[in-house]
Amino acid sequence: MSPVGRRARLLSILTGLVLLTLVVPSANAIPAFARIHKTSCQTCHVGFPKLNPFGEAFRLNGYRMPGETQTEEKAQSLGAEAYKKIWPRAIYPSDIPAYVPLAVNVKMVSAYASSIDEEGHHATKNDFQFPQEVNLFGGGTFGEHMGFFSELTYGENPDGSGGTEIEHAQLHFNSLFGKGHLINFKIGKFAPDLEAGFQEMWLSTNNGIDTMFSFNPIGLHGGTGLAEDGGGISIPAMVKGIEAYGVGAHRFFYTVGISNGLGPSPGGNVDGNASKDVWARADYKFGGMGLDGDTTGVTLPPENWRERSFRIGILGYHGNGKGSDFPLEDENGVTFNVQDRTFNRAGVYASWYFDDLNVFGVAMSGRDQLDTFAADGALTETARHRYSAFFIQGDYVILPPLQASLRYENVKPPSAAEVKSIRALNVGLSYFFYANVKGMLEYRRDLRESKNYTLDTVLRFAF
Amino acid sequence: MKSLTLIAVLALATMPAIAGDIHGKVAAHGVRNSADAVVYVDRIAGKTFPPPTEHAKYDQKNMQFVPRVLPVLAGTTVDFLNSDALLHNVFSPDACAERFNLGTWPQGQTKSFTFKKECFASLLCRVHPEMEGFVAALPTPYFAVTSADGSYHIKDVPDGSYTVKVWHPTLKAAEKKVTVAGATEANFEIAK
Repeated sequence: MSPVGRRARLLSILTGLVLLTLVVPSANAIPAFARIHKTSCQTCHVGFPKLNPFGEAFRLNGYRMPGETQTEEKAQSLGAEAYKKIWPRAIYPSDIPAYVPLAVNVKMVSAYASSIDEEGHHATKNDFQFPQEVNLFGGGTFGEHMGFFSELTYGENPDGSGGTEIEHAQLHFNSLFGKGHLINFKIGKFAPDLEAGFQEMWLSTNNGIDTMFSFNPIGLHGGTGLAEDGGGISIPAMVKGIEAYGVGAHRFFYTVGISNGLGPSPGGNVDGNASKDVWARADYKFGGMGLDGDTTGVTLPPENWRERSFRIGILGYHGNGKGSDFPLEDENGVTFNVQDRTFNRAGVYASWYFDDLNVFGVAMSGRDQLDTFAADGALTETARHRYSAFFIQGDYVILPPLQASLRYENVKPPSAAEVKSIRALNVGLSYFFYANVKGMLEYRRDLRESKNYTLDTVLRFAF
Repeated sequence: MKSLTLIAVLALATMPAIAGDIHGKVAAHGVRNSADAVVYVDRIAGKTFPPPTEHAKYDQKNMQFVPRVLPVLAGTTVDFLNSDALLHNVFSPDACAERFNLGTWPQGQTKSFTFKKECFASLLCRVHPEMEGFVAALPTPYFAVTSADGSYHIKDVPDGSYTVKVWHPTLKAAEKKVTVAGATEANFEIAK
């Protein structure tokens, strides 16, 4: 095998391994909301954490029930309503949840993995990840114009170490101007609505859509695979930034945002330069419940997970990675640095509900301008590369406690002439013992190599 | 005989109209329950109602205004009692209540204010900003406050046609024409 071919195979194997081990962030819905609103998880979820149409309206309404002026659980007032009349001669009134609105999610996984190592040897392992992660959530509202959401995650690493991460810490400002729900802001660390809008994916909670979020263009010829740390330079799963979003005319959704760009590494936590990344998305939903919960002129079935609707949208992301060096080494051992000078992502999103079936997906194209610098800092090459990615997933409610999902995903790297496209198949089956306890079987297969696959048995509960 | 007939007609003419009542339910949407809506008969052309000499009572107890909503006839004096073992203040930010501020006083003491005009006055306590109450100073003495299930009962309303209104501290007001003939039912729905 030629060096190029061997390297391509190695990259392919590494990609497969990464593909099998990445996980997605947890979802934005928690039992704290069930307690505040004195309602079941199923009010907002098809099966947690996947939201039903009402749950999506709740999320886009800043974690408020559409049409609600008071929560079912009496809030602790921080100032009576009438203080608005004398503001600013008094602090503007608000309220907080009457108790600390916390919730806990626990995920335990029996992870079986089959893989091919560098030398082509087949290896298997079966790991009890009990727990794989524990999430502490907080969420609720402050008065009529603010909401908050936070998530602290503890996870255990394969080497036995543990790590704690702030996955979400965000403050929402809702309906500050104009018509209700038209102009909202959130600030903090959050999943940009480029991605949160794809949350239907979260019926399969262990198998993330890595081809969409973790492609790494850093590498020879514009990258060949997925980032090992899950970060990638694709569209970000999590950002630190500010996002404006809203729903107009019940069915139009938009979001625009600005955030920290690339740090010293794709998964970095600080901005590596003075530029900020920006993104935008616009959707329209035909049929079904309005995105703000409006049901005017719509006959909805009594089963709240069902509707007949079609939502379609476009999305775009622009990033600037100037100054963020990613060291590489060529086949001769020569080290150099690559910077993703500018990168653009553009895609289309669609989601179709037909009663018990929900089919959705994203197709995205990415362009990267990669600057290569020698060890002495001299610019040696500027090259532009393009890649494409898509996924399509179908979720089906067989019975309310029994739900299935099937997903195909594909990434065509710039160097596809040398390396096969990354293709994966995901099959999931979820059974809800209770509304807050579920078991899952999730199978993922690297379609390029039959012995690269995982089978996860997941037990997840939240309270 | 003619004299007797004339006397009978005059006697009937001078008798008050037969008193009925208005009852029903107010369905309040978007709030925890349907309590605290004030249902009242709006101004009646040609009719005025002198305010009562007896004062209405409003308590501050367990760091709450009790009741949350107190309807009175405009012109009524309300006595504000502090039943808590801590200081309370009562003031209103509303112009229709002259933006009164009665100061701060201890347990067991009372201060009074006369609601001269029709008004939906918010009551606040500077010492405890979370406290909130309301006085509804109304144009007629025909009013009632809904219970948690939304039911209300306005007694002794003379038969006739009226505009009946509903006011709620946080929801939009509603009204409808009601013809009272004995026991009369009128239901309302209010929302944000």
